[in-house]
Amino acid sequence: MNVEAVLTALLAAAILSSTALLLAAVGEAISERAGLLNLGIEGVMLISSLAAFWLTLESGSTALGLLGGGAAGLLCGIVFGLLATIGRADQVVLGLGTTLAGGGGSAFLFREIYGSDQPLLAQGQGRPFQGLLDWLPVIGPAVADQRWFIYVAWLLVFGAQFVVARTTFGLRIRAAGESPFGLEAVGGSVIRMRVAAAAIAGTLSGLGGACVSVVELGFFSPGITAGAGFLAIALAMLGRLSPVRILFGTLAFGLLTGLDTGLQIAGVDVRPEFLAMLPYLGIVIALVAFGRGTRLPRALGKPYTGIAGSR
Amino acid sequence: MSPVSLARSRPGFGDAVFHRLGPALESLAALALAFLISGVVMLATGHDPVDAYGELVRRTLLRPSGLQEVIVRAIPLLIAGLAVLVAARAGLWNIGIDGQVLVGAMAAAVVGSWLDAGGRPVLWTFAIVAGVLAGAVWIAIPALLRTRWGINEIVTTIMFNYVAFSLTAWLVKGPFRDETLVAPQTPAIPPELRFGTLGDTRVHIGLVLALVLWLAVTVWLQRSVSGFELRAVGESPRAARHAMLPVAAILLTALLASGALAGMAGGNDVLSTKGTFQAEWNPEYGLSAFALVFLARRNVYALVPAALFLGALAYGADVMPRAADLPASFFTLFEGILLMVFAVLHWRPWARLKGERS
Repeated sequence: MNVEAVLTALLAAAILSSTALLLAAVGEAISERAGLLNLGIEGVMLISSLAAFWLTLESGSTALGLLGGGAAGLLCGIVFGLLATIGRADQVVLGLGTTLAGGGGSAFLFREIYGSDQPLLAQGQGRPFQGLLDWLPVIGPAVADQRWFIYVAWLLVFGAQFVVARTTFGLRIRAAGESPFGLEAVGGSVIRMRVAAAAIAGTLSGLGGACVSVVELGFFSPGITAGAGFLAIALAMLGRLSPVRILFGTLAFGLLTGLDTGLQIAGVDVRPEFLAMLPYLGIVIALVAFGRGTRLPRALGKPYTGIAGSR
Repeated sequence: MSPVSLARSRPGFGDAVFHRLGPALESLAALALAFLISGVVMLATGHDPVDAYGELVRRTLLRPSGLQEVIVRAIPLLIAGLAVLVAARAGLWNIGIDGQVLVGAMAAAVVGSWLDAGGRPVLWTFAIVAGVLAGAVWIAIPALLRTRWGINEIVTTIMFNYVAFSLTAWLVKGPFRDETLVAPQTPAIPPELRFGTLGDTRVHIGLVLALVLWLAVTVWLQRSVSGFELRAVGESPRAARHAMLPVAAILLTALLASGALAGMAGGNDVLSTKGTFQAEWNPEYGLSAFALVFLARRNVYALVPAALFLGALAYGADVMPRAADLPASFFTLFEGILLMVFAVLHWRPWARLKGERS
């Protein structure tokens, strides 16, 4: 096997495996911009992952399955948003509860539906740009030969960046996290903006979870996202809540994750457990290096209690 | 102020009862709500909630052996709950319990396996100290990052969980592996050197350890100056800074104590039920410990009954799959629903009237 083919395969795998993470991290970033710290992403991803898998298996359509996963995420997001705003829930506790309930609930439903079966998805997935960039070594085929949903995910990320940075709606979302009273003073509604942000975050994480089972792996098993939801929170913080920076962060993470395969192919003898630590240590080191000056939205994590309830 | 208004401002008996029982009643209401929601889930998936809950109560509370198993499972949860509580009192979130439990268990297993010639007191002491130190060391980096540079401890402690899992997997498959066995694990501590049982039951000495720890933490948090300072920082770091309290040092102490306790929970498992550290073993006490602390409404006294309840759930997850065809994952779902209910219950409409922080 030549070096170029190995590098291409590694980069392609990194792009594929980081897509779910990217969607969830951008969702979390939008949620945090509005002042909601959502630690429940992992649970939302797992529930949506199962929903998408089930729908794909039942309908035979990958696209329909992915939409179903997004819809399940949307629903979870709205519930989270309502409980966190109108319910005035403690966001950390609510998030941890969502993670437990989503993880337990998806495992429970999976066993109820399929028993001890382990069905696989067999749908082919189009690769619309295959071969278009073959003239560019390594990067060309790795970028252009992906399954179609990867490009949809990138479009969503750039769309999210545009909405958050350049529209009035995005400004209001940021105001809900930065200066809730200011938003109310100009006639906006903090609760409405936060629920909207939670809904967008839920949809994106739902699509991320769906991407894991339907696009990436073709099966579901309990705990299949393997902590991607928590990684998304870390990567959102590392990317300082900016979708484009998060894109690069998740790609770097995907490359670090693929490093063990790469080194094994290259014949370097390193314990795989040692390499498995690298991405997580990488995040902590990157947080120390770049995250020290990170300024999070001022009202992040604080329930909005209205003008009367302010201290 | 006239005597009349003074008398009126004194809280009446009803107020006192409400003040004491209010939180307990809220917890019971939340429990009832969680049982109700889970019951609906059971109905929707074709289980009979009355049968299932009945079987759960029969297996956990109405049989002496069941009750003993519940206590055994409540022991590490109580210790892990103390770890969550100590950090939470200082306004911090230690979500790295799972990782600290793993490194604590690994350290206790390795040190314990070295000292099998020294007799029980020596082995126990050193193994527990090793677990405590390992847990504290494991949280030290996230703790220092938090106090020195303000890097959020939630994210770093979660990342260290994954690192701990891989690190202990490497240690148990590499340097500390018992080469005589096929499955990777550390050399087992002989059963006669592990925690003995209390009388003719299955409950082991770890219960005494957990209760002593609970007492120590209670005295520290409720009755000592340093515990008061911890709570002051948790309630309002700004006010604490104005009061010239060494906020960074207090936060560091709280996190190190939290990690040490979690390490001890891991050490307890090795010295009692496990006797060794097996590859891929991960009890994941962390999120259950959060459910425990919020069930107890962050009250250190309520921690013990709450630990028994979560011990019952943990034992239920072990026996109910066979007893009532209810998968273990159902109990994870239940704990999640419980936490979500508590998150919302945190909001008390009357809190503002009483000048409490909601």
